[in-house]
Amino acid sequence: MKKLLFVILLLAAASILAAHAQAQVIVIANPGVKATEVTKNDLRDVFTGASTALPGGGNVVPILLKAGTVHEEFLQAYIGKNDTAYRAGWRSLVFSGQASMPKSLETDAEVVAFVAHNTGAIGYIGKSTPHEGVKVLTVR
Amino acid sequence: MKRLFVGAMALVLGAVPAMAQSLEDLNIQIHGYATQGFLYTTQNNILTTSSSNGSPAWTEAVVNLTSQPTPKLRIGVQARYELLGNLGNAITLDWASADYKADERFGVRFGKVKVPSGLFNEIQDIDPSYTWALLPQGAYPITSRNSALSEYGSVVYGTFKLGAKAGKLEYRGWGGEVVMASDDGYFINQREEGISFTNGLSGVSYGGALHWRTPLAGLMVGVSDRKDNQWITAITDYNPGFAYYNLPTTLPGSEIFNAFNVPEVFAKYEKNKVMVAGEWGRLPVSGMVTLAYLPNQPFRADQRDWYGMATYKVTNKLTAGVYNSQMFDHQMALGPARYSKDWAISGRYDFNSFLYAKVEQHFIDGTAIGYDYSTNGVTPGTPSAAKYPTTRLTILKLGVSF
Repeated sequence: MKKLLFVILLLAAASILAAHAQAQVIVIANPGVKATEVTKNDLRDVFTGASTALPGGGNVVPILLKAGTVHEEFLQAYIGKNDTAYRAGWRSLVFSGQASMPKSLETDAEVVAFVAHNTGAIGYIGKSTPHEGVKVLTVR
Repeated sequence: MKRLFVGAMALVLGAVPAMAQSLEDLNIQIHGYATQGFLYTTQNNILTTSSSNGSPAWTEAVVNLTSQPTPKLRIGVQARYELLGNLGNAITLDWASADYKADERFGVRFGKVKVPSGLFNEIQDIDPSYTWALLPQGAYPITSRNSALSEYGSVVYGTFKLGAKAGKLEYRGWGGEVVMASDDGYFINQREEGISFTNGLSGVSYGGALHWRTPLAGLMVGVSDRKDNQWITAITDYNPGFAYYNLPTTLPGSEIFNAFNVPEVFAKYEKNKVMVAGEWGRLPVSGMVTLAYLPNQPFRADQRDWYGMATYKVTNKLTAGVYNSQMFDHQMALGPARYSKDWAISGRYDFNSFLYAKVEQHFIDGTAIGYDYSTNGVTPGTPSAAKYPTTRLTILKLGVSF
């Protein structure tokens, strides 16, 4: 009984941590992007190359982080793949002539700077990262 | 020249990721991949290699250059070096195209383009894209894939939303000319029988595909159909035995492929760690071989293939998979040459985002696919190009991509 309780507590802690981790990633977009909120499906379509637009119209261009906790959390929460599988999916599109590889940047600050100054750019950063000059999209 | 290309690829793969990044500033990207495979078989030799002795004659290298000068326009080119047994060993143009995407509902790509039929046709030659070392050969035969892989023409594509509860419908349409060189793997058994395709084979091909992204997240159901118009090509038939009949040893003629359709039905479901997919297709080919001095020889094949596959992501780096693939030629006489049944068990390990390895074991029954007379010491023209009805094939493959 005690073991069962321990396992339940452990699982509950893990799910709380996971939810907390998801809350630590925010999706940002260039102020020119018309959408203010997106569905998880729409976000996944853009970041997997299945779509180049969000509801409301206008082209969007996904910007990635190269690696790190924020990148892994974003993939876990919205794409459902790890980095290796995620980039393999993009390479399928690149090597079959269907897409170009999205730009990957080193730091959250670089993502903010790029998204702020490039029409249609959409990216993700840690919640605590300063993000002046971009808009935050609500993901539902 | 080819060794220089492979060597250059090795240098590029080792040193270019940084270069790839800096060229992004110019909206120009360079990507590539290379693979080295090793095949071992019991019983027969397969895929034109000496696999019964263990063969490393399976090498690929691809270089890709793309630019996106505007948000809606992308241009690119991809070159490939491929060696598989006695096939390839040449650098070819994989594709070269300009792609204009007006919006989600319409885009067009033209040049030398991949044909978007079936579940895997566009990516069947892109080894980093999937778990398997060999895709189900009934649907995607590696030695003759050039007949369906790409064409000179255009592809139109787009997506329509069907509403919140009906998912999305993706469409693709294509049309153009398929061109196969005279030394293509498609003709290997005929070549070994003495028939040469003087100018290769080319002809008009067009078709369409629909992919329904269903409301059930991860489930896609699709159909495609490809129509090849009548293709006619010049051939010669070399046979020293013709001299016995006071005929020239090399006879000129032509080979006519009647028009046919290639329908395919497929589905794929992906969720979390699991992928399940299946496909059914039909390839009915008929035609006539006409040679000077000899009666016309009709030919007919009616290949029906299907497969079911599943993969499971065991860990972040390790993926395991299994498939069963079957193909029957309903025009062939009864016997092992009429069919090919293949159970495959596969593992893929991704060391990191760039380097991976594959291990695969095949249990093949039947000799309809993948065998040639020469490497198996079988008299050309015999119904089965393999000596034995079953083959066990082990594949090891290492790949790097960036």
